[in-house]
Formats: sequence, C-alpha cells, structure tokens
Amino acid sequence: MIAFSNTAKRYPSGFEALKGISCTIEKGEMVAISGRSGAGKSTLLKLAAGIERASQGSVMVNGQNVSQLKEAGLAVMRRNFGLVFQDHKLLFDRNVFENVALPLSIAAFPHAETGKRVRAALDKVGLLNRERSNPVTLSGGEQQRLCIARAIVNRPSILVADEPTGNLDREYAETIIDLFKSFNQVGVTVLLSTHDEGGLARLNCRRLLLDGGKLVP
Amino acid sequence: MGAGAWFTAHVHAAERAFRRLLSQPAGTLLSVLVIGIAITLPLGLYTLFTNITAAASRVNTDPNVNVYLTLNASEAEARNLEKTLRSRANVGSIRFISRESALAEMKRIANLADLLASLETNPLPHALSIRPISVDPAALAQLRQEISAMPKVEYVVMDFEWAQKLKRFASFAERLMILLGMILALAVVFVTGNTIRLQILTQRDEIEVSRLIGATRRFIRRPFLYFGALQGLLAGLLAVAAVLGFIAWAGTEVAALTLSYGSEFALQAPSLTQAIGVTLAAMAMGWLGAFLSVWLYLRRSKP
Repeated sequence: MIAFSNTAKRYPSGFEALKGISCTIEKGEMVAISGRSGAGKSTLLKLAAGIERASQGSVMVNGQNVSQLKEAGLAVMRRNFGLVFQDHKLLFDRNVFENVALPLSIAAFPHAETGKRVRAALDKVGLLNRERSNPVTLSGGEQQRLCIARAIVNRPSILVADEPTGNLDREYAETIIDLFKSFNQVGVTVLLSTHDEGGLARLNCRRLLLDGGKLVP
Repeated sequence: MGAGAWFTAHVHAAERAFRRLLSQPAGTLLSVLVIGIAITLPLGLYTLFTNITAAASRVNTDPNVNVYLTLNASEAEARNLEKTLRSRANVGSIRFISRESALAEMKRIANLADLLASLETNPLPHALSIRPISVDPAALAQLRQEISAMPKVEYVVMDFEWAQKLKRFASFAERLMILLGMILALAVVFVTGNTIRLQILTQRDEIEVSRLIGATRRFIRRPFLYFGALQGLLAGLLAVAAVLGFIAWAGTEVAALTLSYGSEFALQAPSLTQAIGVTLAAMAMGWLGAFLSVWLYLRRSKP
C-alpha cells in the first residue's frame, strides 16, 4: 500500500511541485495519475519510489515512511519497485539482455536464474529476438518495452511508470497499456502517470487528477 | 544477503572489474606501468639498502686504534712501545703486526702479489692494533693524542670511524627510504584513485540507473574496488619482476667487482615473503585508492 499524507514537495529552486497531497493506493490496485505538464505527476511518482523526499507530510510504502528511510533502506525498498522512466534510462554500452539483467545483478541472482528471468521478461514484452542487440538500435517503442522488461524482471510488488506511452504511436501505446493491465491482473500494484486520454480510457482504472500540484477532487 | 548471494555478488563484481581491465588494454597498461614504477622505486631502494646493510654487517666495527710506526723503527722498538702502551689506562689489548706479516697479509687479500714482489724493500711499517676499553669519543681522542706524541709513531688511525659512519648513513638511508616509501605509497593511492575517478565518469549513467533500481553503495563500490586491487596486483607483480630482473642483470657484475677487491659479495633478491608482502601492499593501496575515489563520488551524489 502507498499512502500520501498531506505531502508537499518544494524543490531547492523554490518551485512547489506538490501541495498537501493525501491519497492511498491499495495493494494490487492500478491507479493512473493524470494532469497537464508540470502538474506534479512525475514528482508524485518519484516520492513514491523514494527518488525524491517530501518537504512536508509523509509517504508510506508498505508501512514504511519513505522520507525517514536511510540510503540502505531506500535501496532495499526500491528493489520491490519496478520503475519505468520517462526517458527510459537505458545503458547504451550494454546489450538488451544486460540491461534487463541489471536489477538481478544488483540482487545477486545466480547466472542461470538470471538467464531464465531475463528471457521470460523479454518474451513478455516481445523483445526475445533482440536480446543481443544494442538498445540504440531499437525503436522508441522497443526501448520503452525494454525499460518495462527491466522493471518487471525482478517480479516487483509495485510498478511505477512515468508517461510509459509518451511519444508512442497509438498501436504501441495500446500494447504497453495492455502489458500494465496484465501485470496488475497478477497482483502487482501499478501506479502510472499519463496525459494520454485514450490510454486512460483503455486502462479503465482509478484516476487521480493533478492540477498545479494539488489533487482535483 | 545470504552467503550464497554474497559470494555471487563478489563473483559478479570481480568479473566486471576483470572485463573493464581487458576492455581498455592501453589505459590499463599505462596505469599499471605508472603504479609499477612508483612501487619499484621503494622496493629497489629497500633491496639496495638490505644489501648494503648485509655488507656493512660483515665489516668489523669493533673499536680499533691502529698505530703505524715510522719505517726506521725496529721490531725491538715496536715491542718496547707495546709494553709502554699496555700500562695505559684506556688500553684493553694490543696486537703487534710486524711489517713482514703485514706484507704477507696484503699479498694474500689484495691480489697484489705481482706488484708487491717487484718492490725491492718492504714499504709497510710495523704496527700495533689496540682494542681500547672505552669508546667514549673524548677518551679515544686523548688516547690518540698521547700515542701520536710517542717516539717512532708515524700516525694513529681509528679505523672503526668509517664503519660507524657507514652505520649512521645506513640508519639515515633507512629513514629516508621509509619516507620515500610512504610518499610513493600515497602516490599509488592517488594514481589509482584518479584512474577510478575517470572510470566513474564513464560509468556515471550506469551508477545512476543502478542506484535508482536498488543498488546499495556497496554494490556500486565493489567492482571499482576489485578493479583497484587488480591494478595494484599487476603493478606489484611488475615491480617485483623489475627488481628481480635488475638483480639478475647487475648481480653478476657486482659479484665480479667485489671479487676483484678480494671480497665475496652477491646481491640478494627480495625473499618470497617480501615479494608477496609488496604485492599484497600494492593491492591494498589500489583498493584504498578506489575506495576513496568512489566514496568521494557517492558522497556528492544523490541517493
């Protein structure tokens, strides 16, 4: 469960990205955060994943106050998260297989188990035939799916995706939304942000609308 | 983390470090050479120092006062002087060395038999070798002054002074070597640290992504530590090989040179324990350099 309680985030520049957010995302739930650019969607996701710390209020993840976690605790918490970044954050000096294997390497999985899990994740996103390719040779949609494969390879309990369908054409966007729905159907909590109305309709889940850093009732 | 996972994490880190070493052969070679030279200098000096110390320990450094008589002094006069000196307060024992026995000894040890045989007369005087009771500099100076004033005495030599100077020099050289060793050890740490810093810059994206998806500082640090230690290991082995190579190359020449002076002396290579110790120390310095570099980077970056 993820719970925001009167959470605010002010960046060092003085910009207040979030103001007094209070909401709860239940275990196994899928929630879409929508709003215009600059509404605070990415910041909310970053707070949930402990990438940013709240300036005020608290963020609780599975009973732990993220703001009070030390670095080692944060690292352990993040291993339960699958993170899909807006800019993918792929490593272009490693091939597709190695990119997906990174979370398993961090969790010190043995080679044999790593191989099985990586191929299963790549199969799920339709990139099994590209495992030896360099990510730079992949299309935007394939890079997005690669990022999703990396996020799910560790079988996380919470999947956080920031604009996973951004800059993708309709067909790719629908494939990716269906992927998230399938993860949610097997019990994964999914928290994603999007400003794509078509995608929101296809997701068919609870929606949190942000405007100017505040939740719109 | 369980023991199995801990072991797996270390195997992964060592593999990555090894791959990084191999992926940049020119850079690796250059760094290993720089670090190797920095280790070779103190190791070479240490080897040289231990050899000098070994040579110095073979020199008789017991205090000895040698009294050389004039060439016209007869053996009877020399024996009389011996008797007179025995009554002196600071004289322990006296050995009379006749000019004949001195010449015979010189012929034996200095390979100068042919040259000395060509001389018509014996150029060496009778001598008395005194072992003083006190080595106090003031007492010795007084003894020298008294003996110098005696009839038939040409000059008095305190032949242990140079050996004492050698010992003092060795002691000074030892301190200088320790200081140089420490400075060069620091240089090794900094060179490794700088190599790792450059590596961190090229791996910045990987570090950032790894941290975002749950890597601990330990995970980030581990391959760099292995890299630093591996680099240190190679540099240590290079330094040991360089010193062994030098001894093999120069050893025969040194032995031949000392033999020509009537002495037997062979350069000693560092022992196996010393070689292992140097290599392990180089690994430790490489590890430390890497640790400091990654620590500084992670301290500045966001968790």
